[in-house]
Amino acid sequence: MTADPQLSKVSTIPVGPLHVALEEPMYFRIDVDGEDVTGVDINAGHVHRGVEYLTMKRTMTQNVVLTERICSLCSNSHPETFVMAAEVIAGITIPDRAAYLRVVAAEVKRVASHLFNVAILAHLTGYEMLFMHVMQVREVAQDLKETVFGNRMDLAAMCIGGVRYNLDAEMTAYMLGALDKLEPEVQSIIKTYKTNGSILRRTRGVGVIAKDEAIAVGCVGPVARAAGIDYDVRVVAPYAAYDKLRVPVPVMKDGDVWSRAMVRLYEVAHSIQILRECLKDMPGGAINLGERPDIPAGRAVAKCEAPRGELIYYLKTNGEEIPERVKWRVPSFMNWDALHFMFKGAKIADIAIIVNSIDPCVSCTER
Amino acid sequence: MTSQIATLLAVLLFPGGLFALVLGLALKGADRRVAARLQGRVGPPLIQPFFDLIKLGFKRTMVPTEASETVFLAAPLVGSVAMLISAALIPIAGVYAPDTELGNLLVLLYLLAVPGICLMLAGSASGSPYGAIGFSREMALMLAYEGPIVLIVAAVGMRTGMAEGHWVTFSLTEIVRYQQVHGWFLFDPIMWPAVAAFAFFYPANLGIVPFDIPEAETEVLEGPLLEYSGPALGLFKVMSALKAVVVLGLGIALFLPLPFTGPLAFVGWLVEIVVLMLVGVTALRVSAGRMRIDQAFVFFLKWPLLLAIASVAAVALAAGGAS
Repeated sequence: MTADPQLSKVSTIPVGPLHVALEEPMYFRIDVDGEDVTGVDINAGHVHRGVEYLTMKRTMTQNVVLTERICSLCSNSHPETFVMAAEVIAGITIPDRAAYLRVVAAEVKRVASHLFNVAILAHLTGYEMLFMHVMQVREVAQDLKETVFGNRMDLAAMCIGGVRYNLDAEMTAYMLGALDKLEPEVQSIIKTYKTNGSILRRTRGVGVIAKDEAIAVGCVGPVARAAGIDYDVRVVAPYAAYDKLRVPVPVMKDGDVWSRAMVRLYEVAHSIQILRECLKDMPGGAINLGERPDIPAGRAVAKCEAPRGELIYYLKTNGEEIPERVKWRVPSFMNWDALHFMFKGAKIADIAIIVNSIDPCVSCTER
Repeated sequence: MTSQIATLLAVLLFPGGLFALVLGLALKGADRRVAARLQGRVGPPLIQPFFDLIKLGFKRTMVPTEASETVFLAAPLVGSVAMLISAALIPIAGVYAPDTELGNLLVLLYLLAVPGICLMLAGSASGSPYGAIGFSREMALMLAYEGPIVLIVAAVGMRTGMAEGHWVTFSLTEIVRYQQVHGWFLFDPIMWPAVAAFAFFYPANLGIVPFDIPEAETEVLEGPLLEYSGPALGLFKVMSALKAVVVLGLGIALFLPLPFTGPLAFVGWLVEIVVLMLVGVTALRVSAGRMRIDQAFVFFLKWPLLLAIASVAAVALAAGGAS
């Protein structure tokens, strides 16, 4: 670490592990020449908690609770994919109503997660009023979660064989009301991010990743879609009730920070539509199997579209209560490498904005 | 002897010194409170900056081992003293006119550059890489905005000086007196480019969004201030509070001094400075995002410099046309 005020010399600055611009501990060693970034070294491992090991010490039912605690922003996607893997091994088909309810939980989480990321982008550009506004709009989604599920972050919606919550007529009416409140606000936020000079001059053409580079490093989720890759697990390999729903996939081609933010905002708008469709078409019937199913010996892979992209679970059981091996590959792990491409030609001021644009979930990645 | 005592009182008590400090901290408090309300937050109490300052006064100043101790500790002191003297150089229309012994507009221009230079010194002396980045950013920004302010002041000085029969004046008192008789420069179309250029200058000088680049919290963690703590950090807060009073007071003296005398003039000046703070600083800083240093530099070389040159040219042409 050298502190050299001379502009022409290359110096190294540490960003992280604790840095106001990073939501979670990450460590970047950045070589700078004046204001230009010339090299990046990304280090991980600050929030390793040994969750993967813990899953092999818990029963299948306990693991549904444990996987929900891997990460707060995709706290619904982890147990959802875990129970999907377990259901493949046990050969369980979940009731129709449960499939729709799973979509409802996933899309509500997606709305909150994407709005959070887009709000942080405004905060990082120093645009505090927009940050507070988007967070206030997100609060509608948070209230919705608290009212329907009883929690603001961990929904506790999933169980093997179905879901653990139900919607009555009153709750459905409340949700529709909340969506009506949310939709015009989201549309106005989209307009703001499309036209506001403060946002555009800091995000257009910043942190660009080309389509072929994105394919080479295996980008997933909004990062891939912003670079022109039309890939969404909800469409490519539908699970839950997604095969019965219309899921639009927004794809942009610039691959810069702005495109990623816009993809997220469009997905929020689409999620609201999907939620409406779900609530309208919701079939009646049971919400789960009613009893705790036995999971036989076997192996399975399941995947779902978490807010950050494709989340894959591998589960191996030996017929006992405790799984033999659980392993997951999170979307942030795939998008992590893309940072090397995005930092090319970046300025010091762009570092935080670029890191935030892949919406890194460090506690998922390092578990 | 009496004039020296009066000057000393002007620097230490009113309108510099204690008065400017209390006013500056109160302005900061109002700024934070109103900014919070604009963002839908409750915000801290109005006297929070006073609490902050008192708390910092009781803490210990840590000097990093890599820092150059003398420069590190002297920088905030020099900056605050420069601002104390500057505050005594700002006339309050109908209430206070600075002693010509103390200095004129040119001295004020030099003193206004001192806080920026002190921040640069602080950043480079702190031994922190973020301080070094803050140093280079502050320097780039100063290079960008110092040119326009000199031209703005020259334009105002020429406008007054030519009207009064000599070429140019560097006495703020004279500029204020001229406007008290002939009306605000704010409403003088020939001065509009200068007003516009000043509107770009003061956010950069006060270091607020969109030009808070050297201290950008989410990028360089407050840059030069990162390693400061205790009374030394408190002195920087004092410097920044005094600077708000000086820069806004300069703006009032240059473009909109009130034509009153006595208590009414004083109350009117206070109202003006509070309105300028809330409309010009608070509303601006919550409703814009930060620029990148390269964008800000190009921006300043383009618009404010152009406007400032235009204002000098307009004043010269107007005078040429009149004679």
